[in-house]
Amino acid sequence: MDDSRREQIYKEVIRILSADLEVSAEDIANDTNLNTELPFDSLQLYEFVIDLEEAFNVKLPDELLDQMKTVDDIVSLIMRLTEGK
Amino acid sequence: MKSEEEVMSEALVRIFENVVLTEEKSLQAGYFSDLSIAEMHTLTAIGPYESRTMTKTAEDLGITTGTLTVAIDRLVKKGYVIRQRDTNDKRVVRISLTRNGKLACRMNSKFHRVLAKHILSGYNEKDRKHLLALVNEVDVYVAQQLRRYDGAVNVRKTAMEVAKDSKKENE
Repeated sequence: MDDSRREQIYKEVIRILSADLEVSAEDIANDTNLNTELPFDSLQLYEFVIDLEEAFNVKLPDELLDQMKTVDDIVSLIMRLTEGK
Repeated sequence: MKSEEEVMSEALVRIFENVVLTEEKSLQAGYFSDLSIAEMHTLTAIGPYESRTMTKTAEDLGITTGTLTVAIDRLVKKGYVIRQRDTNDKRVVRISLTRNGKLACRMNSKFHRVLAKHILSGYNEKDRKHLLALVNEVDVYVAQQLRRYDGAVNVRKTAMEVAKDSKKENE
């Protein structure tokens, strides 16, 4: 159950990420580092964050984002924030 | 040689002015150059999440609802704010940020966080804790002085009382 939920969230995160950054979904993996391996500038980062907040109906303040390094970290965080929703 | 009071007072004023000036310049050079610093602070007061009432937002900004209405009119026109009637009470107007408003608000918060991060990075953990404790004390003291003017009918009289108290503290 958790695996299929994680898979669903992962797919949606990749879809949003590739749309916001205009990169192919195939170029993004679960261990892709958000800070060093993706062409983010600050504005794109927040576009991505706002899209995630809207898609999953969660709040992602900077204090939480600071701890996020990889795509997997983001997926785990969203799993945690949407638990029981 | 300058007295401690002079050094402190000049530094306080300079820090305040320079933070605002840096914020303004970074705004002009960035993605949201159509926003004034006051407008950015209005967006920050509304915040990126739940909608807020005009009354509460005006209160937080320390301005009248009339002044806020003018500011919100401009921000709605610029595409940063959405204004809606409360679904339960039609007399209440609620305001929230558009996607662009949220982006501007979060970019501005980032500006402040980066500034703070750079200032703190020059210190070890012990000094950082000490610095934060001292800054917090200054913050609390200045906020206390500001609260004395809340609801004051005669601002001049309150200012004289504040000056009198400060004189007593120094004796």
